[in-house]
Amino acid sequence: MNQWKNFTKGFIKENPVFVLLLGMCPTLGTTGSAINGLSMGLATTFVLVMSNIVISLIKNLIPDKVRIPAFIVVIATFVTIVQMVMQAYLPALFESLGLFIPLIVVNCIVLGRAEAFASKNSVGSSAIDGIGIGLGFAFALTILGGVRELLGSGKIFNITIYPEQYGMLVFILAPGAFIALGYIIAIINRLNKQKA
Amino acid sequence: MSKLLTITPSPHMHQGDSVNKIMYSVIFALLPALIWSFIVFGLSAVAVTLTAVVACIVIEWVIQKFLIKGEPTIKDGTAILTGILLAMNVPASLPIWIIFIGALVAIGVGKMSFGGLGQNVFNPALVGRVFLLISFPVQMTSWPNVSKTLVDATTQATPLAIVKEGIKNGTPISDLMAEIPKYTELLMGNMSGSVGEVSAILLLVGLVYMLLKKIITWHIPFTVLGTIFVFGGILWLVNPDQFVDPVFHLLTGGAMLGAIFMATDMVTSPMSKKGQIIFSIGIGLITVSIRTWGSYPEGISFAILIMNAFTPLINNYVKPKRFGETK
Amino acid sequence: MAKLESSFKNMVIALFGVTLIASAALGLVNDATIEPIAKAEMEKQTNAIAAVLTEFDSLGIAYKFLPSEGKDSIQIFPALNAEGEIISNAIKSYTYKGFSGYIEVMVGISNDGIISGYQVLKHAETPGLGSKMGLWFSNAEKPNQNVIGKSMSAGSLSVSKDGGSIDAITAATISSRAFLDAVNRAYSTINESGISTQKE
Repeated sequence: MNQWKNFTKGFIKENPVFVLLLGMCPTLGTTGSAINGLSMGLATTFVLVMSNIVISLIKNLIPDKVRIPAFIVVIATFVTIVQMVMQAYLPALFESLGLFIPLIVVNCIVLGRAEAFASKNSVGSSAIDGIGIGLGFAFALTILGGVRELLGSGKIFNITIYPEQYGMLVFILAPGAFIALGYIIAIINRLNKQKA
Repeated sequence: MSKLLTITPSPHMHQGDSVNKIMYSVIFALLPALIWSFIVFGLSAVAVTLTAVVACIVIEWVIQKFLIKGEPTIKDGTAILTGILLAMNVPASLPIWIIFIGALVAIGVGKMSFGGLGQNVFNPALVGRVFLLISFPVQMTSWPNVSKTLVDATTQATPLAIVKEGIKNGTPISDLMAEIPKYTELLMGNMSGSVGEVSAILLLVGLVYMLLKKIITWHIPFTVLGTIFVFGGILWLVNPDQFVDPVFHLLTGGAMLGAIFMATDMVTSPMSKKGQIIFSIGIGLITVSIRTWGSYPEGISFAILIMNAFTPLINNYVKPKRFGETK
Repeated sequence: MAKLESSFKNMVIALFGVTLIASAALGLVNDATIEPIAKAEMEKQTNAIAAVLTEFDSLGIAYKFLPSEGKDSIQIFPALNAEGEIISNAIKSYTYKGFSGYIEVMVGISNDGIISGYQVLKHAETPGLGSKMGLWFSNAEKPNQNVIGKSMSAGSLSVSKDGGSIDAITAATISSRAFLDAVNRAYSTINESGISTQKE
């Protein structure tokens, strides 16, 4: 398989958020600001890449009937590592992402890639697939977080674009996440259609 | 419009002129209450209403022309009605740029995103209103005093907000009632509130006009108001110290405006009479619940939107009996 | 290498192996991060104490006190001057009356009952409304909403809507009341504990 294609498919063509609509829980829950979206995306990317590598390494050692529990244990291990490291060295970020870090375990993107890709492909391709999909996820979360932050509080990455009192509060709250995501998906569908 | 309006399954594709007539009649029915607001709140209410109407028309035209590229539907009067209803649901002192955002959301998100007239799930004016309420809680809850002055000098809490605040603090109801205007005043329209909800009696005049013209039937407005009255009354009978009496529920806030002009929107309410009654009971129950236990003092706009979402389900289960069908 | 068969023995061995390695890895990481985590939390607390108190030489021994009102005990961090006398206290106070429930506030109160500073440690208030309390009540340009420098000895603080002297956050009266409740609790606790605020 063409590795470049393998890498880039996660951004637009198979973007986990905008096209596959996977991992909606962190997508809607952690994108109150661009920086939160980006960090959540990167944390997920790390877990995705590591679990993809390990699962593709051990894929022949795991009997088929117990592969799902084994995969989940591998994923949960990496998530816990991320959680502990983040708590130790980035306590502020850990606090703002809070519950959503442990929830990476049940993020269907991670298990989905393990099951659909890593358990069938070589270590190298699996790692690249993990990076591609993970960065695609981070990219989507950053865009969504940026849009919500900009509309909600007039900032992007904490840089003020317009005065905060003109911000629409709803975009920082949960309903705004649904509205913003809906319109971004609509725009992306429209762009994809034009290209095709 | 000499005979009853026929109700058909959605999508509601009317002939242009009949939509026109209905819309302009509804607007006409709204006029007494609107003009009263202009007198009470002065120029700021006029400015808010004009902005809302113009913004709705322009936004609908732009979206229709450049995004949907369909037949222009501006002339049917729905955008004007949405604009007026939106304006009637916000405080008269609302800054112009906020009302513009409201119009954009009402038409853009609430109506055109679903495909335009007849396709929208939710009442567009209410979508705009609730969006503004959540986005700009400060501006959306600063009601100008009804002092008939041109500048909004002071702000005043609405009767519903006074009561909600008071009950939370444990003030007895009788003390709170002394703080708010008398019921006759509320009926006539001497209370603070949104542009269009001040005068209950003029909204009722609009209702009578629409009933006489057979634009709407009695089912929705009467059931909504009746449910609010009965449910509020039950609570009041259980504990008159803790719950306000049902007349208060009917006369304050957006109860009249919502029941008469918002819930009756033909696109977003069920088709059959039985369905409309279920729909209206739901609105009444949710409204009183939000007013009594929720964190917002007023709940009818949320109630109508929630029941709007149930409309397709109600339509699915409460079908009019098919002609010739036997069981 | 061919895939292992799903025999009972293979499954047990595979799962055991995976969990063994996973737990070993987690144990290692836990060992490595346990100290930094404790340090980060400690630092956060010390920073909060330093931020709410003005001038002090060293921190005394922290202790817990259970006030007669409320069910949670409250941590008090006394601050000492060069002679080792308590000059003020940082109190980790709380309230359950927030719009979304629990709020934790570190409040610094000097011996004569003047609020020297506060820091909101935990809250879940609505973003853009109640969440403004971290800055709202310390705005030096708006004396009607600033609590810093206010004396608590004259009586508890309340929002102007309830007849008090503090302007509530616009459209977030409940959060403002809750915040002042936590501040008042800090003062009543320190008074009740009686260790530092005795006056001649």
